[in-house]
Amino acid sequence: MRSVSGTRRVLRRIGDGLLVLMLVWTLVPFYWMIVTSLKKDKEIYGFEATLIPRQPTLANYTRLFKTTPFVKYLRNSTIIALGTTITSLVFGCLGAYALARLRFPGRALIARGLVFTYLVPPALLFIPLFAVMSTLRLVDTHQGLILAYLGFSVPFCTWLLMGYFRSVPLELEEAALVDGCTRLGSLVRIILPMSLPALAVVAFFSFTQSWNEFLYANVFVNSVEVRTITTGLTLFIVEDVFFWGPMMGASFISALPPLVLYLIFQRWVVKGLTLGAVKG
Amino acid sequence: MALRTHEAVADVPVGVALPRRPSFALRREGRLAYALLTPTLLVILFLVAYPFCAAVLLSLQDKMVGAPGRYVGLANYLELLQDEVFLRTAWNSIVYTVVAVALKFVLGLTMALILDQERRWNNFFRTLLFVPWAVPIVIVALNWRWIYDDLSGFLNNFLITTHLSRNIISWLSDPGLAMGCVIAVVVWAGTPFYSMTFLAGLQAIPKELYEAAEIDGASVVKQFFYVTVPRLRTIFLTTVMLSTIWTATNLQFVLLLTRGGPASRTEIFPHLAYTTALGARRLGMGAAVTLAFFPLLVILILLLTRRMLRPADD
Amino acid sequence: MRAARMTRRQVLKGAGVTAVVATSPWWMVGKSQAQRAKKIVFWHVPNFTPLADELQKQQVYEFAKQAGVKESEVEYAVVANESFQPKLAAAIEAGNPPDVARLYESNVQYYAALGHLLDVHDLVEKMRREPKGIFESALTSVVYKGRAMGVPLAVNPWPVHARLDLLEQAKVEYPKTWDEFVETSKKIQSPPRLFAFGLCLGLVEDTTDNVMNLLWCYGGKMVEADNKTVVMSSPENVAGVKMIDAMFKTHKIIPPGAISWDNSGNNKAYQSKQAAFVMNPSSIYAYLDGNDKDLQKVTGLFPVPAGPKGTVNQIDTWAYGAFKKNPYPELAKGLLEYFMHPANYDKIIQSTGGRWVPVYKRLFDSPFWKERPAFKHFIQMAETGVPVSYAGSPTPAAGEVLNTHVIPKMIQRVLVENWEAAKALDECQKRIVEIYARYARG
Repeated sequence: MRSVSGTRRVLRRIGDGLLVLMLVWTLVPFYWMIVTSLKKDKEIYGFEATLIPRQPTLANYTRLFKTTPFVKYLRNSTIIALGTTITSLVFGCLGAYALARLRFPGRALIARGLVFTYLVPPALLFIPLFAVMSTLRLVDTHQGLILAYLGFSVPFCTWLLMGYFRSVPLELEEAALVDGCTRLGSLVRIILPMSLPALAVVAFFSFTQSWNEFLYANVFVNSVEVRTITTGLTLFIVEDVFFWGPMMGASFISALPPLVLYLIFQRWVVKGLTLGAVKG
Repeated sequence: MALRTHEAVADVPVGVALPRRPSFALRREGRLAYALLTPTLLVILFLVAYPFCAAVLLSLQDKMVGAPGRYVGLANYLELLQDEVFLRTAWNSIVYTVVAVALKFVLGLTMALILDQERRWNNFFRTLLFVPWAVPIVIVALNWRWIYDDLSGFLNNFLITTHLSRNIISWLSDPGLAMGCVIAVVVWAGTPFYSMTFLAGLQAIPKELYEAAEIDGASVVKQFFYVTVPRLRTIFLTTVMLSTIWTATNLQFVLLLTRGGPASRTEIFPHLAYTTALGARRLGMGAAVTLAFFPLLVILILLLTRRMLRPADD
Repeated sequence: MRAARMTRRQVLKGAGVTAVVATSPWWMVGKSQAQRAKKIVFWHVPNFTPLADELQKQQVYEFAKQAGVKESEVEYAVVANESFQPKLAAAIEAGNPPDVARLYESNVQYYAALGHLLDVHDLVEKMRREPKGIFESALTSVVYKGRAMGVPLAVNPWPVHARLDLLEQAKVEYPKTWDEFVETSKKIQSPPRLFAFGLCLGLVEDTTDNVMNLLWCYGGKMVEADNKTVVMSSPENVAGVKMIDAMFKTHKIIPPGAISWDNSGNNKAYQSKQAAFVMNPSSIYAYLDGNDKDLQKVTGLFPVPAGPKGTVNQIDTWAYGAFKKNPYPELAKGLLEYFMHPANYDKIIQSTGGRWVPVYKRLFDSPFWKERPAFKHFIQMAETGVPVSYAGSPTPAAGEVLNTHVIPKMIQRVLVENWEAAKALDECQKRIVEIYARYARG
């Protein structure tokens, strides 16, 4: 009979092995992307396609920044992702508080309805939605795209935050209410400070979702002044020729902001998910 | 034991702990609640509900892009049910979704358990394993197609350079391999969502619970099933639900990897709807294809959310 | 009571603050992006060379200046190819189409039939009156019910791109017939590094183009010239499909991965020297012009080999369409006229490295086309080429056949699922009849 701590030691070893496998599985495709972006065109194609670039070059990146409006795309993606995140956080906090703490008819219905909004695939929505945007004269504007993204990020934020808010002990809020604090006051002073990790999680997810969105960005935007990275990337496909080098370079750069954010907010994110999802 | 304690905490309805109040207070609470929910409801109304209803109406019409529609009742749905391609698509979609979600779950849980172990550089590893989530799906799909490429791709190059294989393997053209290859990409891209949420759940479990179980003589396996799993149940449900929806409704993987080929082996609903609505320009039929898959997802979600919402809704 | 009033005041204050915070991104983005009344909205797809993109943009603004339209009233959008259909569909459904857009042939016929396009007959007539005129083959695609509804922009032949160096090594000529083609292919290929024939077989448009072109050589076609009688399950088509089947399975001259190629598959195979023959418009040649001059030097562009019923060459026609729902139709027409002015037009043609094949015959007299032996057959191909819907015209029904990949699915039945050619063609016939019937009903 082996002791529990003995088993744990064995599990650690197995874990080390598996970790290596997982890292390989996760990183090899990413590696291929970076390597492709560092190659000359000839080295990208055919059996000359090398696993390690023979003559690494930054030419693809130079091209990206010098001859394409890549910087503008980056700017637009940032504006739109941040805009969506801030707006949906505010909307989400308000709605989630109502659903988590207040009694009113229709609460269960609304809570459940939130989930069903995900069921509606964007591929079905984009044509009617485009009509809405046209009527509001928001086609080809940052605002229009932000508005479209609210359609998926607000329900998501509200749903997740609802779970978190419930996990904040009631007693704290009751004490505040007895002291004469209003409902909104207690949301701002009691609940939000205790839910900072949750806010980080929710913000992080809506940021990456908007940052990576493609279909709406494609349909609702025409001009360079508003175009985001994901749709900008597809311009490296000219008719039936792919310009893989610059496209992969652009992809690599566009993956960096979410990664950096994750690195920074990791502690918060990990803690945040914990509180909400487990106890919600 | 652990299971019961956990549920006891979660099942206390939120309202009960508050002191009873006269009904005018309740009405005021209702007004405040609706005021707070207004932005959310507006967003849902205009950006989800309205387009959704438009889509439902569309599915009842014979409507081409740019042409006026004509109501035909359920004719689109009837035509679909008689179509052999549709039935095959239904089967493919189920296989695709179930296998992908199951694999993501297993891989995600394994990753989470590993990352939960104590190890140096753990934060760094967590970030590395998170990489696929940061890459836009369009790029994931294009990059993988490049990896699978028969002539210039990484896989074939690697296999041939290392003499593991002498022939080119046509990953996406082989009817036996294509679906598996598409699912692999979906799993690659979606696993971090699972590992992140699961890891968070694992870290929230108080260490004392394990210590107590250990004193009671529970083995590691028993600890996993009696301490870990019950504590993670809610998080499992949330994650699986969101991920099932995302997986089942995602268009881009199939569109960019195989377009449903070879010989409809990887044809799934979102892609069929897309080609019908935009390739054939039959908007009404396209909407019908999407909505035909809807009931399955609705049932799944009702099952999952009933469990989740129960504590709050009574 | 006091508490209640405070609550209300605080609610109002709170609402004000949150409204400002929540909508702040809205205001911060700045008014400059807000929609302005545009007078010219022009959608294009990216060109082969940045130079061509630049020139085209310049011309739009030059014209605007001439016509007294402010720069801020012009919207010039480059839309990625794959994204064009969804965007256009959404825009038309919302009643907000672009004023001028680059359209493929099936688009012209489709939107013309629904009455969305402006009649540009006068302009096309004017183009025909230029010295030497235009390639009349282009008109099949843009003429609807006797009136030109689109302006033909380029006539693109689909030659066989062939590796001259490999032919020379094996001491053989470019094959005259498909049977010879198979023999030559076996001589020059060395799989898995180099397959002879990069025939597109994926579920994409190029597959319909490639497969139909081969079937034509065997006397087959999709539909008769009456645009009604579908003739997919003909013995000629069976013979052609069997030839493809043999090339794929028996002779193994087609790379197996071609089944999952997208439109870029054959280009890439040729550009990376992994296929010796591919049937494609000159996008490959133009790519090599900018990226691999050595390969370009040994690339020949030939007519398709002959089958038992001779040889037929495909052309596809690009066009500009002007949408009716436009308060400034004269500006749209003026812009088209400006583009098609031979002097302006020639500049763009020359900047695309041979990708756009001029619709004006006399532009072929310029040294760019004359001095390159590769273009020797181009005039004849452009003159006699037929659209993919041959023997029918590119009707909306034919467009749906192309867009829904009915013919690629047929060929995959045979190659992947080992169906008999005749059975697969029968199924295909049934689908195409359904599609044509639906449009006939109106």
